[in-house]
Amino acid sequence: MFGYYIALALRSLRTTPILSALMVAAIAVGVGAAMTTLTLNYMMSRNALAHKDDVLYAVQLDNWAPDRGWQSPNEMPWEINYKDAISLLHSDIPTYQVAMHRWGGPLSREDSELRPYSAEARVTSRDFFALFDVPFIYGGSWSSDADSNPVYQIVLSQQTNEKLFNGENSVGRTVNFNGAPFTVVGVTEYWQPSPKVHDLNNGNFKKSAEVFLPFGLHRSFEIYSWGNTNGWKGEVIDSYETHLGSEYVWIQYWVQLDSAQQLEDYRDYLTGFIRQQKAQGRFPRPLKFGLSRPSQWLQLNEVVEDDDYMLNWLSLAFLLVCLVNAVALLLAKFLRKASEAGVRRALGANRRAIFTQHLVESGCIGLAGGLVGIFLTTATLALMRQLQMGALDSVAAMDWLMMSAAIGLAILSSLLAGLYPAWRISRTNPSIYLKTQ
Amino acid sequence: MLKMHKVRKSFRTDTIETHALRDFNLEVKEGEFIAVTGPSGSGKTTFLNIAGLLEAHSGGQYLLDGDDVSGLNDRQRSRLRNEKIGFIFQGFNLIPDLNLFDNIDVPLRYRGFKASERRRRIDKVLQQVGLAARAKYLPSQLSGGQQQRIAIARALAGEPRFLLADEPTGNLDSLMARQVMELLELVNDWGTTIVMVTHDPDLARRAERNIQIVDGQVADLEYHANPAALSA
Repeated sequence: MFGYYIALALRSLRTTPILSALMVAAIAVGVGAAMTTLTLNYMMSRNALAHKDDVLYAVQLDNWAPDRGWQSPNEMPWEINYKDAISLLHSDIPTYQVAMHRWGGPLSREDSELRPYSAEARVTSRDFFALFDVPFIYGGSWSSDADSNPVYQIVLSQQTNEKLFNGENSVGRTVNFNGAPFTVVGVTEYWQPSPKVHDLNNGNFKKSAEVFLPFGLHRSFEIYSWGNTNGWKGEVIDSYETHLGSEYVWIQYWVQLDSAQQLEDYRDYLTGFIRQQKAQGRFPRPLKFGLSRPSQWLQLNEVVEDDDYMLNWLSLAFLLVCLVNAVALLLAKFLRKASEAGVRRALGANRRAIFTQHLVESGCIGLAGGLVGIFLTTATLALMRQLQMGALDSVAAMDWLMMSAAIGLAILSSLLAGLYPAWRISRTNPSIYLKTQ
Repeated sequence: MLKMHKVRKSFRTDTIETHALRDFNLEVKEGEFIAVTGPSGSGKTTFLNIAGLLEAHSGGQYLLDGDDVSGLNDRQRSRLRNEKIGFIFQGFNLIPDLNLFDNIDVPLRYRGFKASERRRRIDKVLQQVGLAARAKYLPSQLSGGQQQRIAIARALAGEPRFLLADEPTGNLDSLMARQVMELLELVNDWGTTIVMVTHDPDLARRAERNIQIVDGQVADLEYHANPAALSA
């Protein structure tokens, strides 16, 4: 009978095209608005490092002012200072550990007509690629001594390699960055975690680095972070060495701890480290450090803000308003055809059959509304991408899950909207309509 | 076939209770052709609705084929209606956006017949009412008499044992009315029991038996030993 109900529904929709279009539009607009906000929030709240959520930890050290905590939910700075990062890098407990920050500069290829352009760089210790599972197309990371010594080696992103070398294997070739020649040692595959879990201080959804540089280059280039640098002591910075030795926090630090024992050992290590520093007059606040998994890190950084959640509810409320309209339209449509339901009842249809027939019709309207809703959502997201000029490229897009969710939401919505009208029509006394038709 | 004993039907509003049928007694035997007459508001349609299981009676006993239908739920009543009862209405009540084939198909769908069986039955009844060539026509493309013949075909497709007709010729001119009446008589000859509500005394006289309903009760019974002779 289900096929019969579908055929009846399609026939019914064809016979009342304007009313049907209005209902589809009501559901489509509601679904479109709801799915746009739900998609944005869903994409924003994804954990790009979910596959390593149980082994990766963002490290925080509470070396802030004695009289006040940092303005984060756990009152610890997001970043650590350079000298602590260098100290932590000496630990042999983590499987991998990364000290890094954002940087940038002009990038060019010597023997190319391509004009130098400003490239987004990540200055990092070599474990970055292993820790964050960044795959390589060509080559690999630089040598381990590059974390502490000036080694002029560079890793290019796939996009950069395509721009500079047309996608060819560029390992061993030379590029100029910030006026100095660098030897390409590796080319990463396309890698764009969204949100950018590893760096939530510089735009949660911005593009990943175009080039990666060794951590040991700081003194050679007197590298300052292109991200946040924060301090509380009012230190006078009169040289680059002073900057490196200061309490200014600007280094992001991650570790990979594969076992509970490693985690426990690293906690002990950090406790010991802070105690040692306290003994030297540093770390004026009570002993505290943070080891946050990627999922916790996303929450701490409030990647999805309260306003976004509020927007979710508002969009669902809007969908509800659209559904109320759909209910009214469905009721009008079904009651207009009450006489047909009466005839069907006289010919042997029970109430359940009439109810199901009309509910299937509601579902068909919902399916059509869902498809149009997906189109509206996609168009709205495209418009947002256009208006944001690339800043939302990675989140303002629907994946298959959200498309399925849109269809599901539309059908569920229309079934809910159709419940009352279908129930009403199934409870109608057929004899009234048989006499009056 | 049908037996009603002291059947009551009342409609109640906040202030008024109206008795549409009171102590209604009637027995219809297998194969009979009965005409039901009576003034407007006497309870003819209510009787037909109760007989056709479209409405439940308020009291008394109604036996259909020997089974008491009082305690049946909606699903059971619908199944009985589908299997044993055919309806013919004054306004034909064809579904306007379904063609003739699909209109006749409606009760067969609810019966759960397979497509081949439905097609066989539809073709058969279309032949019987002489409209086989117009299976794909819409009701609006037919005359009133033809529409009523399709309504009869739809009622017959499920091979019911009991046909309820409510003013089946009320919307037809005399020629078409006569054709429809002749078709009903033919159907009755095939063995189908027919109860027909009518205002037309000439049509009523063509039935085997007349009953008159006044104030919700059977007021008079009239038997015609040879209805064909009366109609001549």
